[in-house]
Parts: sequence; C-alpha cells; structure tokens
Amino acid sequence: MSEELLKAMAQSIIDGEAEVAMDLAKQAIEAGMNPLDAITKGYMPGVNEVGDSFACGNVFLPELVMAGEAMKAAIAVLEPELKKAGASREILGKVVLATVEGDIHEIGKSLVGTMLTAAGFEVYDLGVNVSAEKIIAKAEEVGADIVGLSALLTTTMVRQKEVIEAMDKKGLRKKTRVMVGGAPVTTDWVQRIEADGYSEDAVSAVHMAKNLIKGS
Amino acid sequence: MNGQPPALEPIHSAYRLRYLTDEQLNRLQEATLDILENVGVKFPSEEALRVFSEHGAQVNHENQIVKIERDMVFKAMKTVPRYFVMGARIPEYDLQLQDGTTYFTTDGCGVQVCELETGTIRPSAKADVGMMARVADYLPSIGFYWPMVSAQECGATAPLHEIEASWNNTVKHVQSETIMGKRECEYAVEMATVIAGSREELRKRPPLSLVVCTIAPLMQDHAGIEGAMIMAKAGIPVGFLAMPCLGTTAPATHAGALAMGDAEIISAVVLMQLCAPGAPVFHSLMQAWADPRTGGYVSYPRDARGRYGVIEMAHHWGLPSLGACYGTDSLEAGTWQSAAEPALDPLLAGLVSPEIVTGMGLARTYTRLYPEQILLDNDLYQRARAYLTRMDVDDETLAMDTIRAVGPGGHFLAQRHTRKHIRTSLVRGLTHELDANNKYRNPHEAAREQVRWILDNHHPQPLDAAQQAELARILSAADREIGRGAMN
Repeated sequence: MSEELLKAMAQSIIDGEAEVAMDLAKQAIEAGMNPLDAITKGYMPGVNEVGDSFACGNVFLPELVMAGEAMKAAIAVLEPELKKAGASREILGKVVLATVEGDIHEIGKSLVGTMLTAAGFEVYDLGVNVSAEKIIAKAEEVGADIVGLSALLTTTMVRQKEVIEAMDKKGLRKKTRVMVGGAPVTTDWVQRIEADGYSEDAVSAVHMAKNLIKGS
Repeated sequence: MNGQPPALEPIHSAYRLRYLTDEQLNRLQEATLDILENVGVKFPSEEALRVFSEHGAQVNHENQIVKIERDMVFKAMKTVPRYFVMGARIPEYDLQLQDGTTYFTTDGCGVQVCELETGTIRPSAKADVGMMARVADYLPSIGFYWPMVSAQECGATAPLHEIEASWNNTVKHVQSETIMGKRECEYAVEMATVIAGSREELRKRPPLSLVVCTIAPLMQDHAGIEGAMIMAKAGIPVGFLAMPCLGTTAPATHAGALAMGDAEIISAVVLMQLCAPGAPVFHSLMQAWADPRTGGYVSYPRDARGRYGVIEMAHHWGLPSLGACYGTDSLEAGTWQSAAEPALDPLLAGLVSPEIVTGMGLARTYTRLYPEQILLDNDLYQRARAYLTRMDVDDETLAMDTIRAVGPGGHFLAQRHTRKHIRTSLVRGLTHELDANNKYRNPHEAAREQVRWILDNHHPQPLDAAQQAELARILSAADREIGRGAMN
C-alpha cells in the first residue's frame, strides 16, 4: 500500500479538491488498493483533520463543504468497488432528506446533506418540493433511520406535520426518526408536530442526527 | 374609545448621502444585465414562461430558465411608474410615494410571541396580528402595516387571515409578505376590493400591496410569481424582495451578491410589466450573511453597508425602493445588541430616501415578537427623524431679543420665548421618562408601559359591519377551497 497515495488522498480532502480526490481513488483501484483502506486510511484522516480544524475555528464552512464534496466524489468512485468485493463501508445511518411540498428552498437542506455525508451517513437527497408520499416511499425503500424535512416558509412548514402524520399512520415512526429544519421552525413547532429533532444550522444537524441514532 | 390615529410622521430628510457612485451603479446594472442575458433566471411557472416566450425572451421550457436581452429589459422598465399611491382605509393615511419622503412599516411574519405580561414564549396566532395592528395604527412613525407574525393556527390560508386581522385593526395601508399562489391572490384581490369599494378604486388607491420573495440564487418561487401576476393585473402594487445570503446562496462579496439579487428582482419586474404594463412595482434587496462557522443566517454582520446602497440601485432603475431596517439578531428585546444593531438604520436609510422601509418590532432575526420592541425601535426612528431635519436659523430661532433681554449672568426660564419653544425643541424620548422620584426610568420598562397603554386605550375606527361580514364570507370560502393544512 502506497503511503504516498494515502497521504495525497487525505490532502485532497483538506484542500477540498473533488477532482483530485476522484483521480486518486481511480489510481488506488488501478493499483489494486483495498477500497475500504482507501476510505479509512486515505480519505478519512483528511475528513477528521478538517473536522478538527473546523471545531476549533481554524477553517470555515466553505472549506468544510468543499472537503465534504471531495469525500463524496471519492466515495462515488470507491463504493461500487466495495460492493463488487461484497464489502461495505461503515455508515452511521441512512438519512432521507427533502424540502417539503410547495417549497423550493434548497440551500439549507443541501448543506445538511453534505455535512451528514461527510460525517459518515448515507444520504438520499430527494431535492425540493417533494410530496409526503415520495418521501415516505423512499424512506421505506431504503430503510431510513432518519427523515429530514426542510421548509423555509411559514406557509409550507405545515407540510412537515403532514409528513409526520402520514408516517405515524404507516407505523414508521418506531424505526425512522424525523428531523425538521428551516428558518420558521422553532422548538415549540417541533413539539407541536411531534418531530424527534431540530437544529438551527447544518453543523448542529450532524450532532442531532448522531444523537438520534444513538438514542434509537 | 374609537379614535383616529395621530397624523403620520414620515421622514423628510434634508440631507442626502451617496453610498455608490454613478460609475459603481452603472457597473452593478451592467452586471445585472449580463446575468439576465447570459445566465438567466429560473421561472417555475408555465404561465410566466409563456408570457416571456410571447415577448421574445429566450425561454428553455425544460429547465425553466429565462434569458432576457437588455433591450427587452429597458423596454419593460419604461412602463414602470416611478411613484404611486398606497391607499389606506381612510384617505388621510394614504401614502403618496414621492421623492424625499420615507414611510416605515412594522417587521413581519414572525413565528413566536413573547407575552407582554408573563414573558412566556409561544407560537404566534391571528390575534397577535390584530393586536400589533392596533399598536402600529397608533404610532405616527408607522406609515403602513406588515402583519407582524404568522396566523399559524389558520393553516394554508393564514396569509388571508392575516390581512383580515390587519384591516380590522388599523386604518393604514396593509402590505402582505406571505400571500402566495394564484387562488390565494385572487381571494386577496377580492378582499382588497371590499376595502377599496370597487375594482376602479382598488387601482387608484390600493389598500393592499404585496412583497414576493425571490429565491437566491437566481430563481423565482412558483406560487410567489403566479400570485404576483394576479396582483399586478388587478393594480395591486407588488414588490420583489431578494435575500441573497453572502457565502451560501450568493457570492461572499457585497457587489456580486447585490448584482445577483438585483437580477432576480429585475427579471420579475420585467415579467410584471409584460403581463400588466404600468403595474405598480417596487424593488427590495436585503442581503444577509451566513455565519462562516455554522451557516446560520445573520441579519446584522458588523459591516451591513449593503442595506443602504441597494436603495440607490432601485432608484437607478427608476423604481421605488422598499428599504430594510431593524430585525435585530438579538434573542431578546431591550438588550445592548437589540439597540446597537439597528441604531443607525433609520438614519442611514433616511439619508438615501427610500420610499418605503421595513420594519420595526421583531427580534431574533425577524422571528420573535416582543410587543414592546416596536416602541424601542420607534425611539430610534424618532431620533433619526430629528437628525435628518434641517436646523432652522432665522430671527425666531436666533432669539436675539431674548439674549439681549437676559444679558450676561441671567437665566432663560422666565422668558416667553423659552416657554413657547421648550416643548418642541427639547423633544423627549423613551430614555427621558421620569419616575415618581424624578429619576429617569428604565427605557425598556417605559416601552412596555407604553405598549400596554396603547392596547388599553387605542381602538381604531372599525370596518363597517357590511365590510366585516363580506371579508369573513370570502375568508370562509378560501378556507373551504384551499384550507388544506389547517393546524387544528
């Protein structure tokens, strides 16, 4: 195993260079490196370093997001190889994310998705303006541990409640926890619609998701 | 006691300040035109795409992106009225937009209320919209009313309930920032027609206007834009509000964020003029900032210059401007932060003379209502209004006869001139309230007492019974048709 290649992988994450990360992943496959090693010994140390620097305020959100994007790019190359080998990387949990029906605000939800992916969750981002039916169908299909519902408007946040009610009817709430977010969402609202978690920003969303997984 | 509110006290600034040079304004406008022509704006509305297509814009029906050439932009801008009237229930409170006059409103669409008496924080409700409309009705600094909080218990038709609660509690112009969607706007037009008396009067003195948010980067909202077209066709003023967030939904630099937000606004303004040439429209750009450590939305970075230069950008296009003041990030009312952040706002905005400005009374980044916050913000407003008034230097104010009469070593307390002027020249604010021991009171407490007094004593002239009944009838029809999602 090339120490140099592993170091370069970590550096590509620290630099937030998605294309470099992808090229290195391809090189690793060609060189016959175990894809799981590439992830855990190559890229993950880079993710951890960026995470630590972020935690102590040395790097900012753009660096964190770019590192997350680079990690996603590397995993996209390595995951099929892992599957071929009948292995899988360790994931913290499966998360289905969507902005609710009638609302096309994307940024907060996408940011949460990137952060969760970088932290080790498997994220299914359904996009914006997504109906309760579609969200629930996806959650059932993938066996989601968490459903994340975003809404930016006071007029659309009522849809979060509809999704939760529909999940209740289907008996999904025992397995799948619900996180909600968006500017008008408050702890009062979370209690009122009986969601399981809420955070005001993408970084806290990762902590919340980890806590929900631990608690379930 | 039913009473007419005191006369409005808009800001008439004697001074002007330029934040952006002509060269900078031209460069920003060129950037907007470049974005409109070469990057485009997404309009997720078949109706909007059809209108653009018919007028020769480059429309991609697949990705819904519209590219607009500069000639089409300038042609559309020619039909924009520079000024118009925002009508009130009582004509005396109509706002005639004009150069040099600035009317302020309340903040809007909060989701929490801190109870005045108990300090309990709870979700907002329709009754809060009406309660604060009464306070706004009383304050001369408030020229028009934004429903301050969301009528959350009313579900999908909450925005229509909010304007009903507003008209039932203030005679002033009402501006909604939440009505969206074709049917919702058709109902709103019907309700506004009840207030105006007829469709013709609605066009002349619209008692309602609407703010529609664009979505950064470079998108329109389906329901927002379809509703806006309905309003524009009915003659109801529509403003487009871009809220680019530096570093997340916009470039991390002011100029890029402003050009991008401007392109969102101008694309919508062009659409309104294509659908309804001459429709009254206004421009509003409220940049925000993403905390680089959390991504959290910050209304007041330390450098909030962008709040004021955007007013000049609107005027450069020949559009009235809805400026942005207030809306502290402080979690509570009455804190150092809640005063420090907006302290200069009304002064700095007043110096550029936007036609209308939002908005007093909310904390926690526009989301939490403290009923007394509006009195605290009002105090900042009245300070700015005084600063922006030119000092009189004439025979009366020089008071030479009085100075001669007193001479060296005397005092002015026994002078008729002093008695005549002391009430108006030494204006007292919230920080000058005396208690029983002649000590200055805590201004936050004074504000709470004042808001309590207004709520106990000011009851604006009610709508006549027939109008009330008609509004209620329209609302219940709306509830039946589109009330999906009601909370109770």
